[in-house]
Amino acid sequence: MEKIKDFFKTFLLVELLRGMALTGRYMFARKITVQFPEEKTPQSFRFRGLHAQRRYENGEERCIGCKLCEAVCPALAIKIEVAEREDGTRRTTQYDIDLTKCIFCGFCEESCPVDAIVETRIFEYHGEKRGDLYYTKPMLLAVGDKHEAQIARDRAADSKYR
Amino acid sequence: MINIEIDGKLVETQRGSTVMDAAHKAGVYIPHFCYHKKLSISANCRMCLVEVEKAPKPLPACATPAADGMKVHTHSEMAVKAQKGVMEFLLINHPLDCPICDQGGECQLQDIAMGYGGGASRYSEEKRVVNPKEIGELISTKEMSRCIQCTRCVRFGQEIAGIMELGMANRSEQAQIMSFVNSSVDSELSGNMIDLCPVGALTSKPFRYTARSWELSRRKSVSPHDGLGSNLAVHVKDNKVVRVVPVENEAINECWISDKDRFSYEGLNSAERLTRPMIKQGGQWIEVEWAAALEYVANGLKQLGNSAGAEQIAALATAHSTFEELYLLQKLMRGLGSGNVDFRLRQSDFSADGKLSGAPWLGMPVADINACDRFLVVGSFLRKDQPLLAQRIRQAVKLGANANIVHSADDDLLMPVANKAIVAPADFVNTLAQILKALATVKQVALTADVSQVEVSDAAAKIAASLASGSKVAVLLGNFAQQHPQAAQIASLAEQIAALCDGKFGFLGEAANSVGGYLAGAVPFAGSVHGMNAQQMLEKPRKAYLLLNVEPELDMHNPQLAMSAMKSADMVVCLSAYKHHGMDYADVMLPVAPFTETSGTFVNTEGRAQSFKGAVKPLGDARPAWKVLRVLGNLLDVPGFEFDSSEAARDEGLNTAAIADKLNNHMGETKLDVTVAGSGLQRVSDVPIYSADALVRRAASLQKTHDAATPCVMLNGSELQKLGIQSGDNARVTQGDASVVLTVQVNDQLPQGAVRIAAGHPATAALGAMFGTITVERA
Repeated sequence: MEKIKDFFKTFLLVELLRGMALTGRYMFARKITVQFPEEKTPQSFRFRGLHAQRRYENGEERCIGCKLCEAVCPALAIKIEVAEREDGTRRTTQYDIDLTKCIFCGFCEESCPVDAIVETRIFEYHGEKRGDLYYTKPMLLAVGDKHEAQIARDRAADSKYR
Repeated sequence: MINIEIDGKLVETQRGSTVMDAAHKAGVYIPHFCYHKKLSISANCRMCLVEVEKAPKPLPACATPAADGMKVHTHSEMAVKAQKGVMEFLLINHPLDCPICDQGGECQLQDIAMGYGGGASRYSEEKRVVNPKEIGELISTKEMSRCIQCTRCVRFGQEIAGIMELGMANRSEQAQIMSFVNSSVDSELSGNMIDLCPVGALTSKPFRYTARSWELSRRKSVSPHDGLGSNLAVHVKDNKVVRVVPVENEAINECWISDKDRFSYEGLNSAERLTRPMIKQGGQWIEVEWAAALEYVANGLKQLGNSAGAEQIAALATAHSTFEELYLLQKLMRGLGSGNVDFRLRQSDFSADGKLSGAPWLGMPVADINACDRFLVVGSFLRKDQPLLAQRIRQAVKLGANANIVHSADDDLLMPVANKAIVAPADFVNTLAQILKALATVKQVALTADVSQVEVSDAAAKIAASLASGSKVAVLLGNFAQQHPQAAQIASLAEQIAALCDGKFGFLGEAANSVGGYLAGAVPFAGSVHGMNAQQMLEKPRKAYLLLNVEPELDMHNPQLAMSAMKSADMVVCLSAYKHHGMDYADVMLPVAPFTETSGTFVNTEGRAQSFKGAVKPLGDARPAWKVLRVLGNLLDVPGFEFDSSEAARDEGLNTAAIADKLNNHMGETKLDVTVAGSGLQRVSDVPIYSADALVRRAASLQKTHDAATPCVMLNGSELQKLGIQSGDNARVTQGDASVVLTVQVNDQLPQGAVRIAAGHPATAALGAMFGTITVERA
């Protein structure tokens, strides 16, 4: 009996028509494709993209070189050297993040006692040659300086959950 | 013994011990800050509060004597509540700056706060701020606000270092740890306060901000400085030594190390390090490959040996070299047919050579010093030469021992000295003979003729009486006595004095391998080929010198003589870790590794052989000296130089199990010369603590301390008056054919006729022997 049913189903192209009906339905449904780069998906304020080093409002860099991010980094992507600055404060002389090693876990951001290292919403960055993705302290500070308004807004939005 | 129950565990503990001691025995940890096993109990941090059954309130475990049948709960609800309460109080004023604190990661407060601290502070008022104090070049007090007033540093000063250099001023919230007005912390043991501080209030200045504790690899090593052989942990970051801390060893250094051991690591990273082999050609130094440099040395030595004879080759090594280096050096020399090898560079009396029954040593284990009740310390700048042995004697004196001193200078030993005889260097033998005579009279023993003719002075009689009344006597000869031109006579008398009161007789080792050098045979009278000693090698200049870690103008007894011998030599080969003054006259500079970069063995003053591994890779092209000597041996076709490791060389030269048989301070008959000094000024030389070896001379922070100040000429007031010079003037000091101008300082503790001028320092390197006549005149 089943065999006969199957024979007629195949013969009458029932499955094909069912499939075509589904396709037809979506043809007239509302489109959800995002037309990147003209269009972009919404992002969480916790989005973990390119790193940035922040400054205080008076222009002083936040980082004090405690090396907690270096210690916590599971990919060993961070390299820090510290020295005493002329004014006696503890500052980094070197703060490098190798973005090719980074796995964007956000531990560095989480461990930072002064919110100096943060991950921004930026994800559209690239490098054209080897070493372009090896970010040094001035590069990270430049990212921070450029996007400080957005970074500060995101931190404020997240603060009530911390 | 009494029984006490801690957290349900029954422990047997000594009557009079505390609950804290019992808890240690039971393996129960009680949190604490102010308690330290080597310091007195102050019970002021209150962190160790525990519940004791039948006591209405929690009691501090460190200050509560254990009683029979006592039941203690260290983690009961009451105890934990009390401990948490204390923690909250301690954290009220403690700044939240752990991320920038050098103590972060190894901080007792941080650790205990993890267990007993709250998640957030309830304290919203202003925190206390303490202004930083300037207390010297070694300890940083920039963040004194972190202090929790445990007073460990204060007690350390009073009890261990012997001088209270830090104290707590004011009360309650105003209480602050500070030094006395305008004074710095200058103790030679001060660095231990950094270890003792349970928070980051006292931190190491040279180490400041160089690394966090979790970045460091910890590697065990042994101090290459004084004869004690303190156990060290060398902390390494990126193949660079960034810090040195003690490793506890109750038999040697307890839990302390001297500042010299702690801060000398800066010299390892000095800009003066020699990193490439160099050869001088046509007056110019050129860098060459190792192979070329070693070929050059081997050819030079071979030619010289063939043309002038092997006895024209001489080798000098410092006692700071490892056993393996000393052993291979003497093996190389003897293989070449020359016995001219010596490591006793500052010694001037070699008349005991050949009469020695073994290697001179401390005469007892280091730890036994604490148990002695009478000391006679002859010729020692004790605190500066052997800081931790001095500390042990201080502890013994505190328990009732008498310290007696025979010396030419009367530096403050920071302990009560029972009797002292401060005499000019030339009167040493006479003074000891006096003590021997007085002692023999007390003990009713017959005397030899030369001793019986001396007149016993008051001081000598008192010293003899003190020694005679003791049950455990130690007669110790310091560096000064060993460098003395009558060292053999001094040793012979000291031995007789010790024998008369059934005491121990010993030598305080000047350097890490002062005993090891003898065992390695790096002396001219050992082995099959005998030769010249350190002084003869200079008095009768040789054609070639092999210098192992030696800087002749600073390390030798007579720098004048050393320099003229070096300058007249055809070939001088320096195996050195540093570019030094030797570049002026040397022909080859071979970069060898200092103690952190090589494996090796030091045999300390009690005859304990301690081997260590290299902590870091050698800097640049430097190589361990034992490897350099091994290759030289191969190139010179000396048999028996096929070592794969330093351990193989050590095992060939040293039977560690049988060292004790080779230690013996007894020496044969020595003729005594008890005549008293004539007129004229005599030099008294100390080797300043931070000039004693190549490494400390280059330790930047130590060189900024008071102990490293440029040497002065010191005389007592009446001598100065005779010369018509005022303290603070400049004076011209002439010895031999050279003179230097130094500042004059009055020192009324010096005996008549003595002029104290430090040796081993560039400012006085032009002068002659460490002892002898000297003239001082107004500059």
